Amino acid sequence: MNETAAPILDVRDLAVEFPLSGGTIVPVRGVSFTLAPRQRLGIVGESGSGKSLTALSLMRLLPPPGRIGGGEVLMDGRDLTRLSEREMARVRGGRMALVYQDPMSSLNPVQTVGRQIVEAIRTHEDVSRAAARARAIELLGEVGLPQPAERFDSYPHQFSGGMRQRVMIAMAISAGPDVLIADEPTTALDVTTQARIIDLLGRLVDQHDMAVILITHDLGVAASFCDDVHVMYAGRIVERSPAEPLFRQPVHPYTEALLSAICRLDFDVSTPIAAIPGQPPLPQAIPEGCPFHPRCPHAFGRCTVEVPADTLLPDGRTAECHLAGERAGAEVAA
Amino acid sequence: MRRYVLTRLATSIGLLFLSSIVIFCLMRVIPGDPTITKLGGSIQGVDPRALVAIRHQLGLDRSIPDQYVRWLGGIFQGDFGRSYYSQFPVTTLIQERIGATAELAIAALSIALVIAVPAATLGTIWRNRVFDALLSGFTAIGLATPAFVTGIVLIVVFGVKLGWLPTQGYVSFSHHPLASLKSVLLPAITLSIVVAAPVLRVLRASLVDVESASYTRTAAGKGLLRRQVVFRHVLPNASIPALTTVGVVVGGLLGGAVITEYVFARPGLGTLMVDAVYQRDYGVLQALVLLAAASFILSSLVVDLLYGVIDPRLRVRGAGSAQ
Amino acid sequence: MSAVAEPLRVPRRRPRARFLTQLLKRPSAAIAFVVVLAIVVGVVGAPLVAPYSPNAFDFTHLFGGPTLAHPFGTDELGRDLLTRVLYGGRTTLEIAGFSVVLAMSGGSLWGFTAAYRRGWLDELLMRVADLTLGMPVILLGLVLVAAFGSSTLSLVLILGILFMPATARLARAALLSELETDYYLATISVGTPPWLIMLRELLPNAAPVLIARASVVAAEAIFVEASLSFVGLGVQPPAASWGTLLQKGYTNLYRSYWYPLFPGLVILVAVLALNTLGDHLQRVLDPAKR
Repeated sequence: MNETAAPILDVRDLAVEFPLSGGTIVPVRGVSFTLAPRQRLGIVGESGSGKSLTALSLMRLLPPPGRIGGGEVLMDGRDLTRLSEREMARVRGGRMALVYQDPMSSLNPVQTVGRQIVEAIRTHEDVSRAAARARAIELLGEVGLPQPAERFDSYPHQFSGGMRQRVMIAMAISAGPDVLIADEPTTALDVTTQARIIDLLGRLVDQHDMAVILITHDLGVAASFCDDVHVMYAGRIVERSPAEPLFRQPVHPYTEALLSAICRLDFDVSTPIAAIPGQPPLPQAIPEGCPFHPRCPHAFGRCTVEVPADTLLPDGRTAECHLAGERAGAEVAA
Repeated sequence: MRRYVLTRLATSIGLLFLSSIVIFCLMRVIPGDPTITKLGGSIQGVDPRALVAIRHQLGLDRSIPDQYVRWLGGIFQGDFGRSYYSQFPVTTLIQERIGATAELAIAALSIALVIAVPAATLGTIWRNRVFDALLSGFTAIGLATPAFVTGIVLIVVFGVKLGWLPTQGYVSFSHHPLASLKSVLLPAITLSIVVAAPVLRVLRASLVDVESASYTRTAAGKGLLRRQVVFRHVLPNASIPALTTVGVVVGGLLGGAVITEYVFARPGLGTLMVDAVYQRDYGVLQALVLLAAASFILSSLVVDLLYGVIDPRLRVRGAGSAQ
Repeated sequence: MSAVAEPLRVPRRRPRARFLTQLLKRPSAAIAFVVVLAIVVGVVGAPLVAPYSPNAFDFTHLFGGPTLAHPFGTDELGRDLLTRVLYGGRTTLEIAGFSVVLAMSGGSLWGFTAAYRRGWLDELLMRVADLTLGMPVILLGLVLVAAFGSSTLSLVLILGILFMPATARLARAALLSELETDYYLATISVGTPPWLIMLRELLPNAAPVLIARASVVAAEAIFVEASLSFVGLGVQPPAASWGTLLQKGYTNLYRSYWYPLFPGLVILVAVLALNTLGDHLQRVLDPAKR
């Protein structure tokens, strides 16, 4: 991965924990990555891998009793995890924004859509109501809503899911953030709308000069949209790679298993769907050694006792696997 | 929107009529002949002609539907009939007493809201476990404490021991504002606890619900400060379910007033009701029960109308179209 | 395939004795349970537990405050108030207990019938229930006392009837949600007679919610009985209940303010404990946790 510019976001060993009465659960166990300006980064993984919590913790929006258990999130040389509430509020929306996965309930039902966007604008900029209104209408048009001026005064329940998501996106970019985090923005939508929203995101990101972190479990979307992809499993990033090489030749066995579980139109119908045996581990029951070893077809002795280190591979990719070097080497040779 | 208002109005009026019929019939059906009550409990040795005369005087010799129509007609003209016991027009009795009850109700409601709303809101903003536990405790105790217990405790502390405030009687506000406030303070505090406890409980519950809604997270994600999130997004949405409870409580204030007025010897509609029960005075009773039903129906109506104003989802019926 | 001769038993976990331990895990529930138990034992065993006879006059100690000899003080005739509260509790709990039984059984029948029959009967029954829901219970209670008097039987009937509509609503909702479950539809479709399933599965599954509610209704019954007696329209002298003791205390407030305080506290504690118990019971027995 080539990042010649200074990263706009530098996450180091971020951990998230939930202290509960039965004990503390740690769903995110040390996540590190960097984000360059205008980079499109995808974070993929199954449900429960910790990807949404990672996103929430970047914005410090973890629901109580969740809290950041360690690590740093550096932006402009400041550690976001150490900022006061007030300072963090200025970052939210202004420098970094989050688009959520359930558009149906992510908007305040008793306020007009326009008013909510105006609020987002005026929180970060000292502009008049009229100016903010004009900006909001412009944004509504930019995200593809027809008749934006009329739509300004509509209420969320008067929109379909796809349109609400567009409104959410408009609201997120309204204060001109440098980083846009999209947490499964299309999961709740139908397939056609999904494609349109992804297109929209792509356009906006280019036009507004933003870096994007796209969190998804949809490998296809990640493949087409992202420059680089990080794969998460059991609260850690197990593989980092530019998109194209990842999908062509995955290194980590988990990524490989994920990709082979995809059905393709040119498969023989009688071919059984390759599923990964077993279940992803619960945060309170992470296996010893490599967390993936119970389900890994290549697991051997060492995997059951020693946690694999993050291995740096010759082409800049990384993978947390004891066999990383050989697997990468074998692929290059092949 | 207009259709909603009209429908609700029509339903309310219908309910009111229905209630009046039910109340009227109930009074006629339950055992106990009011004429006997008037005569002191027994018809032994009473001149039958006197009996007939009294029955005629009370209008009891007509058919029931006839009596109902006369009663209802009277009400429209502001005549609630006569007390079986004292022969005073019920309207007069009500007029004499309603001031005390109304002042009590308003004072109690104000105190309750001033306590409940800020307490619940602060609890949400701060998200402090200790404060929340305290609030829960107060709510539970408040819900379980009968008005007479609170009343007696207040009387003992502020009346007997400290002697700061009067513990009985009533001074009308228009008559003497300061004395009026002093006389209403203890009863109002007593009644306000009865009102505040359920409101506090439901408000806290709905604040918690709204707190976990996605749009609260969206609001914080925009860069709003905690108190801005609570005041602009959480509280407005949480008020909606709480409003129903407020309506129910307001409608039921007359019930709470009964005990409170009795404890503080305050001459209001509540004590009038107790007296009427002692005297088996159905003339007064049916008017009071109708009044109670009316106040409940009215407050339900107001709440429903407020809903229409606050919640836009109720307003637009079929006018919004998803695309 | 042979015809189904035996009704199909779809195994459902029913929270039997296990819930008791789960209930008592939470501190406030355990305290409430103990308090209720203590009150019931104290009241039922009054002849054994009470330190004095309820009618033992002692003219040397009129309107006494709380002392070691008389923890609740004494009344206008020198009688020990603790004793009188224990004995008075018998009247209060008797009335409350019977009225709860009446309200729960009547209300359940009402609600179950409505839920099972649906249609116009359901509508009718529920409209009747709704009629009274808005009115404050005390007002209705007063009116009914005016009509039917305040003998023990009347009070039990009045209170029972007052609390039936709300119970009916609850019972109806509970049975309705059972009737909509997949397992019910499944057992019906195999040919099992509905009444059998009702008895074996549905009613026992709807029961926990009602049991939790019974605790709250008991609290309300004590509340209303005390209120009615307090204004002189409930239990009549010479019988004593917590409400009448409170009333006597209130009239003698200026002589001894301890007199009404203790009966009042007892009422408060009993209602609070029953309410808390009911709340916790509801949470522990909540079908949503199945």
